[in-house]
Amino acid sequence: MKDKPTSMDRRELLKLSGVSLGAATAGAVGMVGISAPAYAQKLGISDSKLIEVLDRGHLIVGTGSTNPPWHFEDADGNLQGMDIDMARLLAKGLFDDPDKIEFVKGNPDARIPNLITNKVDIVVQFMTITPGRAQQAEFTIPYYREGVGVLLRKDSELNTMDDLLAAGENLTVSALQNVFIEDWVHVGLPQAKVDQYDSIDAALQALNARRADAQLADLSAVRWQIKQFPDRYKEPGKGWMPNSYAAAVKPGDPIWLNWVNSVFKEAMMGVDFPIMQASYKKWFGLDINSPNIGFPSEFS
Amino acid sequence: MLDYNFNFSVIWRNADEFLTGLGLGLGMALISLLIGSVIGLLCAYGRTSRFAPLRALIWLYVEFVRNTPLLLLIFFVYFGLPEFGIFVFDKVESFILTLALYAGAYMTEIFRAGLNSIPKQYVEAAMAIGLTPIKRQTKVVLPVMFRITLPSLSNTLISLFKDTSLAAAIAVPELTFIARQVNTNTFRVIEAWLTASVLYLAAAYTIAIALRRLERRYAAIR
Repeated sequence: MKDKPTSMDRRELLKLSGVSLGAATAGAVGMVGISAPAYAQKLGISDSKLIEVLDRGHLIVGTGSTNPPWHFEDADGNLQGMDIDMARLLAKGLFDDPDKIEFVKGNPDARIPNLITNKVDIVVQFMTITPGRAQQAEFTIPYYREGVGVLLRKDSELNTMDDLLAAGENLTVSALQNVFIEDWVHVGLPQAKVDQYDSIDAALQALNARRADAQLADLSAVRWQIKQFPDRYKEPGKGWMPNSYAAAVKPGDPIWLNWVNSVFKEAMMGVDFPIMQASYKKWFGLDINSPNIGFPSEFS
Repeated sequence: MLDYNFNFSVIWRNADEFLTGLGLGLGMALISLLIGSVIGLLCAYGRTSRFAPLRALIWLYVEFVRNTPLLLLIFFVYFGLPEFGIFVFDKVESFILTLALYAGAYMTEIFRAGLNSIPKQYVEAAMAIGLTPIKRQTKVVLPVMFRITLPSLSNTLISLFKDTSLAAAIAVPELTFIARQVNTNTFRVIEAWLTASVLYLAAAYTIAIALRRLERRYAAIR
């Protein structure tokens, strides 16, 4: 990739795209009197993923297709979800077109390998930041804090976390069979009985059929269920066991990482806030408040 | 050969759970067999009734149960009945009820065949010595039918015992459920399923041998 002959396209992009690099480069050109691509090369940014993606004309994103509300297919087979929205924000920032994007679908265990082998430019697939993973991939700033929570039937007399705790041993919680799942339930509800099922829909049906008083699930999945069936479900408004979801890039490319971070941050705090707000509403049924005007987040 | 390091320590650590699971499975199979036998006997007699709607009802029951996968029946009773407001049974009771209904349908057919195969002369002889209709059944027909159907009953018990593995789907902590749990928690996949298989095999084979002896003792008189 290094020292690839530069095209007019790239020069135009560097000058015209909203990317701050473009402006910096143009300024430098005036002062020192060398060409923009040459200056980019001197700065070492010509071998950044950012330039490669701009040259290619579309973004390649690693994600999945089977986990609502994060990444899943609609009735026509098109990918949708919170992860997909975050990816489209990047395409919009790069090409002013959220559809200039190619999704590479894979299992969660293919996320880091796909990055390392350059099959994708970025992974946006509900990836939990862990210190171990952070040694293999570089994480962007998080765009969601996941946790576990419980789903309740709307007609249940249990409403709050206090109600659930008061039920003690008489509370049955259904969950997908998983390592440590009993421990997870007991972090939030120390005395509850846990019924483990071999599929997520059986665990949900146990709740529907009153075989269980509550279903343990990722809080995002709980919110998605309630968003879809507001007349059937509710939640006590509490989650536990926090973990952060972020996108990840191949290590060693601060320019690309910084650009993605800028886009994500401004979606949460700045110009693209309305898009983020709509996504949160659409996938989680959550209303998030517009950032205060006047001070940056550090003062709020 | 297998490129796999066996480690059975997780099995020993969970030995109690495996054995309790096995016991639960055996218990559920036995109770289902007993209830199923009663259902089967009543329905087998019912099928010889002159009252057509009763015969039709039994036919419907037998064909519905025999031609529906057991797992679906389990789901129907466990998940489905509460949707109709029936909350009587917990998960173990739901499973036993389902398995008993399932066994009952098969046993209706077994007993019907048994009743049909009793030589007409036996009944005629019983009539000739003046036995009442009830005594004709309890003293002659049923004992002979029991001997004729014993091999089929043994088969049914073993197959019911193996069917208890399906109870894992509704979170009943029997042997398969325990094996799956150990498997999920420790990733000792082969050890967990190997242990479950050996326990199933040993238990089923023991039942088979015991029943074979019983069959020999009460072999149908030829």
